[in-house]
Amino acid sequence: MTDFLSVSGLNFSWGENHVLKDVEFRMQRNEVVAILGVNGAGKSTLIKCLNKILTPKSGKILIEGNDLSSHDLVSLAKVMSYVPQTVRSSFSMNVFDVALIGRRPHIRWRISQRDRDFVSQTLRYLGLEDFAFRRFNQLSGGERQRVIIAKAIVQNPDLYLFDEPTSDLDLKNQVSIMKRIRHLVSPEMGNKSALIAIHDINLAARFADKIILFDDGKVKSYGKPEDVLTEQSISDVFGVSSMIMPREDDPSKIHIIINNEIEEREYVMPKIDIIKSAELNNNIGDEGE
Amino acid sequence: MDSLSQKHIESSSLQITIILMAALATTVFGFLAIGIGSSEKLGFLNTAKIILGYCGGTPTDFDIIWRLRFPRILMGVVAGVSLAVAGALMQGCLGNPLVSPLTLGVASGASLGASLAIIAGVSIVAVPELAIVANSFLFSLIVVAIIIQLGKYRSVSAESYILVGIAITFICGAIVSTLTYFASDAELSQLTHWSFGSLSRTNLVTTVLITIAIVILLPTAMVWAWDLNALSVGGDEFAITTGVNPATMRRNILILTAFMTSLIIAFTGMIGFVGLAAPHMARIVVGNDFRKLIPCSGVFGAFLMLFADTVGRTLFAPIVIPVGVMLSVIGGPFFMYLLLARRGS
Repeated sequence: MTDFLSVSGLNFSWGENHVLKDVEFRMQRNEVVAILGVNGAGKSTLIKCLNKILTPKSGKILIEGNDLSSHDLVSLAKVMSYVPQTVRSSFSMNVFDVALIGRRPHIRWRISQRDRDFVSQTLRYLGLEDFAFRRFNQLSGGERQRVIIAKAIVQNPDLYLFDEPTSDLDLKNQVSIMKRIRHLVSPEMGNKSALIAIHDINLAARFADKIILFDDGKVKSYGKPEDVLTEQSISDVFGVSSMIMPREDDPSKIHIIINNEIEEREYVMPKIDIIKSAELNNNIGDEGE
Repeated sequence: MDSLSQKHIESSSLQITIILMAALATTVFGFLAIGIGSSEKLGFLNTAKIILGYCGGTPTDFDIIWRLRFPRILMGVVAGVSLAVAGALMQGCLGNPLVSPLTLGVASGASLGASLAIIAGVSIVAVPELAIVANSFLFSLIVVAIIIQLGKYRSVSAESYILVGIAITFICGAIVSTLTYFASDAELSQLTHWSFGSLSRTNLVTTVLITIAIVILLPTAMVWAWDLNALSVGGDEFAITTGVNPATMRRNILILTAFMTSLIIAFTGMIGFVGLAAPHMARIVVGNDFRKLIPCSGVFGAFLMLFADTVGRTLFAPIVIPVGVMLSVIGGPFFMYLLLARRGS
C-alpha cells in the first residue's frame, strides 16, 4: 500500500545552521501525528517545508506516491491546508470572508452557493455562527484560532498541518481544539490526516495516533505515544525527569507527570555595584541643588 | 439556503448596490461639472442639450464643451480611478495602510524628468509642448524598471520595496533641489505650477488615449482580489498555503500600479492624496474584501477628484486652484474626520 505521506532524507538549513537533518517518516490516512521537541528543534520548519513555505535543501516528499515538487501552490493548497501559530492581519475582514478564503484554490473568481454553504456549515461546526459577521481582529486569540481552522476545513484538504495550535489558548480551549482536530480526522469526515507541531506532551499523548520525537533536527523516535514517550526519551530530549502512568479515563493512553527538578546549566548573575550607582545618583542630585 | 449564507449574500448585495449608486452619483456629478465654467451661456441645461444632441450650439460652445471641459472631466475621472485603484492595490500587496501610489518613488521620478525639461532644457522629445510630459513619463518608467529589477530578487520583502521607494524619492528630490538652485524665476514658477497637479494639461485625443490604456489595464487589478484577501488576512506564509505566490503577485501588482501612476502623473503633475484617501474611505463602506474594495476605491477616487477640481474651478472663479491643492485642502480634513469618527464609534 502506498503511504499517504512519505518523507525521506529531508534536509533544511538557514545558512550554516542545519535545522533539519535527514528527516524521515511516513503517515497514513485517518492518522493524527504529533511532532514533539524543544524550541528550535525544527518542528515548525518541517511543517513549512511540507507546504512549500520553505524550500528544503534536499530530500523527497511524496503525497500518495507523487513528488511534492510536481505540485504547484494551487494544487498543493487543495491537498494540504495550514493553521499557523498566530495570524497577523494587515487589514481585517469579517469572519465569514476570512473562512471563504479557504475556497480560493478551488475557484477562479466567482463564489457559488455551494461555497457559501460550506463556509456556513463549517462556522456552525466550530461554534462560530454568532461571530460570522464580526471583524476578525476583534476576536479573542481562541476565537481567531477557530476561524483559521474554519478556513483550513473550507479548503477541504487531505492533510491538515497545525503549527502549535494550542499555544495561545486556555486549558478548556486547548482540549476543545484537539478534540475538533481528532474529529476532523475521523473516518466520518473522510480520509483525512493531521500533522501537528505541539509543545504539550500530554495533549499529544492523548490525541495523537503517532508521535515524532524531534531532537536537534533529527527524528529521534517515531511511533505510538506509549512506545515513543518513555521516561528515558523525555529526559534525553527535554532534559526533565518524568513519571508515566495510564490515563484514568482511558487506560490505553498514557499520562506524563513532569517532575519539578530540571537539568539546567548554572546561570551567573553579572555583578553590578548597585550601592555605588545609587550614591552616584545622590551626588548628582546634590550638585543640582 | 443556510441563514448565514443568506446574510452574506444580502450584505454583499448591499455593498455592490452602494458601489453602483456611488458610480451613478459620480457620473451625474461629472455631467453637472461639464456644465460649470466661466461661460455663462453654457449652464447645466444648455450643456446637457448639446451633449445629448438636442441642440447644436455655436462652434464656440462646441469647442468649450468638447475641447476644454470634457477632456478635463474625463481626465479627472480616469486619474481618480487609476490613482485610487493603484493605492488600494499597493496598500494590499505591501500590507501597509500608509502606502500610496507615490510611495515607490514614481512621482519623484516624474518630478525629476519634469525638472530636467524645464530647468536644464534636456528632453527626449524635441517638441517643446511634449518635452515635460515625455520626460516625466520616461523618468517614472525608469523607476518602474528599478522595481522590476528589485522584484527579481527572490527574498525581496514588502518593506524592501517601500524602503527602496523612499530612497528613490530622496535621490530624485536631491537632484531636483540642485537643479532648482540654478533655475531662473520663470523656470521655478513653471516647475512649481507643474508640481501642483492639474487636469487641464491634456487635450481630447490624449485624454481618450490615456482612458483606453487605463480601461485595458484596470481589469487586471481585479484578478488579484482573492490573492490580496489572503495576503491581508495572514501575510505571506498564510497566502502561500492558500495557493498564492506572494512574491510574484507583489512584483506584478507594483509594476501595474507604477505604470498606471506614471501614465497619469506625466500628464497631470503631482496628485497624490487621492491614492491614499480613497481606498481608506472605501474601506469604511465595503470593508477589506478586495473584490469590492478595488471598484469602490476607483469610484470614490473619481468622485473625490471631480469634486476637488470643480470646487477649485468655481470657488474663486475665474482663478482656478489646482486640483492637487484642492484635493489636499478638502480631502485631508474630510479624511481625518471619517477616520476619527469611525474610531470613535
